Amino acid sequence: MDAPPPGAGRGAPVLCGRAGRRTSHARGVPQLSPRPDGSDPAAARCPLAVQVGSRHPCCTPPERSLTSTPHPEILSVGLALPPHFADQETLTAALSAFWSRQHFNPERLAQIHRAALVQGRHLALPLAEYAGLRGLGARNDAFIRVGLEVGEAALRDGLARAGLEPRDVDHLFFVTVTGLATPSLEARLMNRLGMKPSVKRTPIFGLGCLAGAAGLARASDALRAFPGEVAVLLSVELCSLTLQPEDLSIPNVVATGLFGDGAAAVVLGGGARPPRPASPGAPGSPRVIDTRSVFYPDTEWVMGWDVVDSGFKIVLSAKVPEVVERHVGGDVDAFLGAHGLARGDVRHWIAHTGGPKVLEAFRAGLGLPEAALARSYASLREVGNLSSASVLFVLADHLAAGEARPGDLGLLAAMGPGFAAELVLLRW
Amino acid sequence: MTPLEQAVAAEILRLAREDLRLEGPPPEPDAPLAGTLDSLLLLSLVVAVEDRFHLALTDDDAAEATTLAGLARLVAARAEPARLPAAGGGPPGEGR
Repeated sequence: MDAPPPGAGRGAPVLCGRAGRRTSHARGVPQLSPRPDGSDPAAARCPLAVQVGSRHPCCTPPERSLTSTPHPEILSVGLALPPHFADQETLTAALSAFWSRQHFNPERLAQIHRAALVQGRHLALPLAEYAGLRGLGARNDAFIRVGLEVGEAALRDGLARAGLEPRDVDHLFFVTVTGLATPSLEARLMNRLGMKPSVKRTPIFGLGCLAGAAGLARASDALRAFPGEVAVLLSVELCSLTLQPEDLSIPNVVATGLFGDGAAAVVLGGGARPPRPASPGAPGSPRVIDTRSVFYPDTEWVMGWDVVDSGFKIVLSAKVPEVVERHVGGDVDAFLGAHGLARGDVRHWIAHTGGPKVLEAFRAGLGLPEAALARSYASLREVGNLSSASVLFVLADHLAAGEARPGDLGLLAAMGPGFAAELVLLRW
Repeated sequence: MTPLEQAVAAEILRLAREDLRLEGPPPEPDAPLAGTLDSLLLLSLVVAVEDRFHLALTDDDAAEATTLAGLARLVAARAEPARLPAAGGGPPGEGR
């Protein structure tokens, strides 16, 4: 039922091979080169800049007022997908066998899958093996085994695209919400890749879909403290291994129609690192100008896991799109406003794929045209919601497209359990 | 509502309370269900009703059954008698 892409060994991770074909990811995130210029265009737009010059806080972020070091730079994004791909119809048919045991009308549940817009998903295991996957231990063993494979592939891909070696990494951030390991996966990957012993590791569990943006933000925070160093954010999400076939609740049916598996690695260089020569014709790479975390009090019920004997059981409220639409506009405006910017100044919107309703809520909350989120919709269709890795896949698509021009602003955003939002302001 | 429809409505409320663990005051019979339940809960209730009464509700049905009374009326008219509760509180199947 699964169909490994041509040229991919069975069981071997696929680098960016969506649905068994080479996509824009496969054509590649370009070999990006650092930009020596770290100046902030917001200074020129702030009406107060004329009066008080660059000391005004809205046009001079605090970290820039203390140092002339340019902002951290996103050097590359590496991607990996497990080789077992199943189209949505195949997945729905397989799940219908479980649904029909309890539900009189499984077609209604199949409608939920079709409404997810997802056309297919890569899976950690061959589809036939999921029926025998019982208990948290078995699921987690599979997470560690496959997670190491796709994590290593994404990490090597990202480093190669950045022109770096594993020994060049100084900070390694690891995010996941789909499996547990101690030592955590990034520690095991340090051995596999031969990284230096002095790497500062930060494994993060529990941020869910938020973690792609939040991990990127925390990695850039580290590079502001250590501007001569290299940080990598690795996201490994094997959502299919959290599947609870016995859970016939509607939120679980929604989840089984939406989430897929994948890994992404973002390689960042500190602002004090010497610039690499730019590739001819290649656009510059974005710098992380600023980040913002927004926590919504008393919204723990919106999204999360209930940990049960069989694994992770999803908590998913229908209020997610409502919460997103209610907050995102004001949060983004406040964040941009601190830099003397407005929504109209942002040319590139890099949003977590969520689901159709979440994306629509994001779009409506910000008053964006549909085209602004085209890459998020495309990623959702092609590989499903990859939790924290999703926004990094969308980022990779933006980089690979090469449409950004020097000076362009981008906003990378994700929301997830807490409930919370993470915003990352980028400038090419 | 007829006595049978009232019995069906009571059974739907029981499903909501016991199977779906919905809390809070029950919806008024003629109030829109969408005003009381969010989309996932409403869908969960529809699935629970389909399972309990062995019905497959269509999109047209959904347009008709926007209230508890409307849903109970639809179920009372469409379900096999053996699946229906007794109008006076007797065992299933005796409602008709």
